[in-house]
Amino acid sequence: MTLDVGADLAPVVKEITQEKINRYAQAGGDGNPLHTDPQFAAKTMFGGTIAHGMLILAYLSEMMTAAFGEDWLSGGRLKVRFKAPSRPGDTVTSAGRVLRIEDGRTVCAVECRSQRDEVLVAGEADCPRTGACLGPTEVTV
Amino acid sequence: MPPSLDELPKGYQFPPFAFELSPEWVREYVTAVEDEAIGVLEGSLVPPMAVATLAVRSLLEGARLPPGAIHLGQDMSMLKPVGAGERLTVSAQVASRGERQGWVLMGIELNVADDNHAPVMSGRAMLTMPANAEGGS
Repeated sequence: MTLDVGADLAPVVKEITQEKINRYAQAGGDGNPLHTDPQFAAKTMFGGTIAHGMLILAYLSEMMTAAFGEDWLSGGRLKVRFKAPSRPGDTVTSAGRVLRIEDGRTVCAVECRSQRDEVLVAGEADCPRTGACLGPTEVTV
Repeated sequence: MPPSLDELPKGYQFPPFAFELSPEWVREYVTAVEDEAIGVLEGSLVPPMAVATLAVRSLLEGARLPPGAIHLGQDMSMLKPVGAGERLTVSAQVASRGERQGWVLMGIELNVADDNHAPVMSGRAMLTMPANAEGGS
């Protein structure tokens, strides 16, 4: 099956907790206190800890893997900007929609939003159009 | 002690770092990010963001990340699937650097290749961090 213009990718929904942020910091070796030290983070412009950008991108990438399978791993491209921080207690929904088919690639608008409907991450992702996409599967954790 | 990232000039080449995607670490990563999609694929393939994460972790062996650094944006191209247990090498350079109101704005380009020098991933991270940050993380 292939996804046509206007098709929605199955969203991926994740709850952000400090424990999850700490677990990612441990795995990623990123001990930036902005993510893991509430006292340090309270003194920054964010007023508290925030999730790593790469943790949020892992959720977007999961959505693309679910939609496009190995094509995403072998030829996917991602271009995103972080618009707002994700904080402990947030519910982050990754979503995407097929914008156009271009040069044999499926180009999607992708974003992550919080439960406040605030855009956290926005951009585009594209993937070779081999017809091997896996199609919609909703993932909620 | 390695230099702080904010001190690095435009054009700075990070020393290439080799790293291994050990099955144990991949499991730790997949658990941390709760990736339920990668396990559906055949073989022991590794999520692309895991490759990026471990590549950045390796780079940070050669430059300290200043406390308070913020990730502003990310461009990334996945070029080849990799499996758990593979050994990769990351090379990187400071592609752009500017300063404004006490903050450094930096673009870092990175390329990851496998043991046969086949490209696995390329990308560019946009970061900002306090200038002359003390310490590191």
